[in-house]
Amino acid sequence: MSEADTPTIPVGSRWERAILHLDMDAFFVNVHLLDHPQNRGKPLAIGGRPDQRGVVSSASYEARQFGVRSAMPMSQALRLCPELIIASVDWEQVRAGSRTVMSILHEYGPVEPMSVDEAYVDLSERLNPKIIAVQIRNRVKAQTGLPCSVGLATNKLVAKVASDFDKPEGFTIVEPGWEAAFLAPLPTRALLGVGPRTAERLAELGITTCGELAAFNTDALRLTFGKHSESLQRRARGIDRREVQAERGQAKSISQERTFNTDIDDASFLHAKLESMAPKVARSLQKRNLVAHTVSVKFRWADFTTFTRQKSVEVGIDSAEAITRLAHGIFDENWQGEKLRLLGVGVSNLEPMVWRQLAFEFDV
Amino acid sequence: MKVSILQENLARGLGIVARAVSTRSTLPVLANVLVATDNGRLKLSATNLEIVITCWIDATVEEEGAITIPARTFSDLVSALPQARVELELSQETQAVHVACGRTEANIKGIDAQEFPLTPEADGADGVRIGAGGFKRMIQQVAFAAATDDTRPILTGVMMAFEGNQLRMAATDAFRLSVRSAEIPAHSQKGTIIVPARTLSEVARVISDDDQIVELLLPEKRKQIIFRLENIVIVSQLINGDFPDFTPIIPTKYTTRTVFSTMALLNASKTADIFARESSHTARLHVEPGDELTPPQAVISATSAETGNNEAVIDANVDGDGISIAFNVKYLTDVLNVIDTPQVALETTTATEPGVIKPVGSEKFTHIIMPMHFGR
Repeated sequence: MSEADTPTIPVGSRWERAILHLDMDAFFVNVHLLDHPQNRGKPLAIGGRPDQRGVVSSASYEARQFGVRSAMPMSQALRLCPELIIASVDWEQVRAGSRTVMSILHEYGPVEPMSVDEAYVDLSERLNPKIIAVQIRNRVKAQTGLPCSVGLATNKLVAKVASDFDKPEGFTIVEPGWEAAFLAPLPTRALLGVGPRTAERLAELGITTCGELAAFNTDALRLTFGKHSESLQRRARGIDRREVQAERGQAKSISQERTFNTDIDDASFLHAKLESMAPKVARSLQKRNLVAHTVSVKFRWADFTTFTRQKSVEVGIDSAEAITRLAHGIFDENWQGEKLRLLGVGVSNLEPMVWRQLAFEFDV
Repeated sequence: MKVSILQENLARGLGIVARAVSTRSTLPVLANVLVATDNGRLKLSATNLEIVITCWIDATVEEEGAITIPARTFSDLVSALPQARVELELSQETQAVHVACGRTEANIKGIDAQEFPLTPEADGADGVRIGAGGFKRMIQQVAFAAATDDTRPILTGVMMAFEGNQLRMAATDAFRLSVRSAEIPAHSQKGTIIVPARTLSEVARVISDDDQIVELLLPEKRKQIIFRLENIVIVSQLINGDFPDFTPIIPTKYTTRTVFSTMALLNASKTADIFARESSHTARLHVEPGDELTPPQAVISATSAETGNNEAVIDANVDGDGISIAFNVKYLTDVLNVIDTPQVALETTTATEPGVIKPVGSEKFTHIIMPMHFGR
């Protein structure tokens, strides 16, 4: 990158909070172009095959000019743009690119990844967040070969709008105090939480821009939006107090337990408890994209004797059925009719689910 | 009881029965090995109630008798003895066995042989006689595919189906399936049983090159199977239940058939596992049919976020389309380790449908592996 490309940065403004939002430009498309430079400048869509009901995951800016959009069926995209080049997602490259980007961000402050190609970084502790923002953008481009857009503002809401403001390869800084002015001319749809339905209802009130929304009479707004009116107007003024939720370390175990009102020795009741806890544990695993190699059951007898017994499997599991099956097995081997005051199900030995081992479908 | 035996025979016999010793049992006698004189030989026997292993070794019997002594203590002692004759003498008063060998003497406290579970006899049932070496190989080709965790007990077993002069064995852990058939001599056995894979692995382990024949006995209504070798008998409980019907999961057609050198594919798989360890042993196999200019080939690769990546190109004969498919590479090495033919075929359809592995030139063995799928 040459000197001339570096934006000039006004100095002097005070940053009580500085939040950077980074969004990779047409990420899957540009990852593909790293290995297929011959496709650069052509309409290109990454996603599933049209004859297999595939959808568009990401479209090049050239394809977007034909009306090709993300989540559109690939067959429809092909009708809009018959010369469309279709490629599948190169997950290996996508993950590698994503890891590099995130590791760069981690050098500058707490990071909240929103997806593989999007994250917030809290730069409040940095002396000059604007210089950091330039560094981040330049390093991402240099180290991955991939373009990104960056927005810097005093909060997440405005930073996100800013990163989208001048895409692709956008670089937008909203100085402290200028949040409302920056948003004012933009359509209400630019705001987080304003979808097509809300925008439509706002338009019925004659509100199309954030500025109009911010200035609208609150009582009149309340007739349509009720208690959501204040939050809508706060957002339109560029006010957002949400913190950057830095990643916590990966969970070591996940568990559920139930303490009973009276001590219980009813086998079918206890089995039913296991069956109701296991799906909650499974959902937790799935949400974090983890699989478990160990399932444990926690027992507490009426006399407060407490112990945990576990079973391990070689192929990691994340389904309620598999967790239930193991939990039942452990329970049956360790329970001889004692009265229980507490029963719990947990999983440990967790690892990220990247590849899933497929299984035969038969009932045993 | 007073006997003398060669140290090496005694050590070998204890090694054979040791696997049946209970390590965690509330019954102390199950941690012991039964030592008894039997028709001029010494009988050693151990059990964990699921399996009983008994073996007979040559001995000079001076005085008949029987006792049980802690298996661990006895084995450790015997393996520490010099290669010489070992004298065992039971003191009826103290129920201790006096062990003497060379200049070493020891006393091991025993438990009365009456407390040891009775070894079931075959009651003259009709046996199926099978070549021992061939049966050992069948076990090695099938038993490893059984489940090792006992959440679905049926899957810890190996199906043995007797159909006329055919014996068919199958095992699956729901991720892979091994099916092997063999012709066996005429017999009166019919039907299907499920034998714990652990039992069969023990049978394979104790079959030696000296064994010609293994006799399988299925005593009526006893839910047991007996394997009889020349000097060894293994009795095992059968697993109750129905083995899953696996015929529908065996693909009947394919779109790509790739033939490899078994050794080349095995070596490439082992190499890939170095980098596949951290990603659930996932290795990717990419088959290219080739064209006028490029020969067909296969590429096996694995990637680790931490340690690096590798790629191995191997020659292949490809019939059909190219395909990219991922497998747990441990499953590949497991099966390739037990394929005897120089060439092996992999039949595939899509990246999410099972891959079928067959030794080229033999119809008797089929192995099926479900692939790994990227993401949820």
